[in-house]
Amino acid sequence: MYPGDGVRRSAARRVTEQVESIAQGVAQRVIDLVVESLDMNALIAKIDLNVVLGRVDLNEVVDRIDLNQIVDQLDVNRLMARVDINQIVSQIDIEALVKNTDLGAIMVSSSSSLATEAVDQGRSHAVSMDDTLARWVSRIRRNRVGRAEPPELPNTPEEP
Amino acid sequence: MTAPADADAGLPEPVPSRVGVSQPVPLGGSPQPHVPVGTGETENLRGQHAGFASRFIAFIVDCAVSIGVFMLVLGAASFAASVLTGTSIHWSRANTWVVVAFFAWEFFYYAYFWTASGKTPGMVLLGVQVVGQDGTSVGTKRGLLRTLAFPLSFLLLGLGFLGILLGRDRRALHDVIADTAVVYCWDAREARLRSLAREGGNRQP
Repeated sequence: MYPGDGVRRSAARRVTEQVESIAQGVAQRVIDLVVESLDMNALIAKIDLNVVLGRVDLNEVVDRIDLNQIVDQLDVNRLMARVDINQIVSQIDIEALVKNTDLGAIMVSSSSSLATEAVDQGRSHAVSMDDTLARWVSRIRRNRVGRAEPPELPNTPEEP
Repeated sequence: MTAPADADAGLPEPVPSRVGVSQPVPLGGSPQPHVPVGTGETENLRGQHAGFASRFIAFIVDCAVSIGVFMLVLGAASFAASVLTGTSIHWSRANTWVVVAFFAWEFFYYAYFWTASGKTPGMVLLGVQVVGQDGTSVGTKRGLLRTLAFPLSFLLLGLGFLGILLGRDRRALHDVIADTAVVYCWDAREARLRSLAREGGNRQP
């Protein structure tokens, strides 16, 4: 080892540090200038989001999300307190909803009255008597007479 | 209305297939409202030939309705006459005009309902309907013909109705003459679902 090696190393280290410092400053300045000169709107406009989204495997993303953890962190009561139910309901077109869905039928069937129940029972008993009579006649006649095929009904609305 | 006594104590044996109608059984073997169900799955009676009992009960209801309306009209006419002229009218069965009006009204009653929809009020209640033998709507011609032929079944000492009990397609004499048939038009499956829904609704606290 030569006696001047230590001095040389020390000088080289100092020069290197200064150069690095200058280089960092220059790079920082260049980056600032580049970023300032960039038109982000134009850049975003050039990006085809469909292509980007097409490359994303959403299933994999969704698989990685722990929904239970998210739901656990939700304060549902606080969330619901923020929701204005009246406003939501006022925006619903009830008539269109009833017209376009089975809601009307469900409402009608759920509100079936005692009268409907009585009619159902009456008809049921009548059919029961029909069957009993048919069985008696069938026994008396020793099943000599079969039943004809029922006719196709015309397209009329069914009885409730 | 309660289930018949035999509904709980063992069911009637299954109806032979040739009879062609489903066998009503009580729901869950309990004294609940029962609706007709098949031996396996609930059958839809719609379109099957209606039996004697359903038709007879419908006729009784129609008699009550038509005679009731006729009496009401006579009563209203009598009341109107007493108000307007001060003399009350006493209707009598011996009065020829009353008899003629009664038969005219009965003809109108059945002819109107059969030609219009194939269903009188009694038939609506019992869920039966008059259709053409080919399954089409009755129409004016067949409806009127059926109405005219209807009394014949009575005039032959009721023998005209035997076809409902004995015939393959359960047609009375006036049905044969008018080329019509009477079928069930109510959906037993829907009735069963309604019954189950009510049952479920009653269970809820």
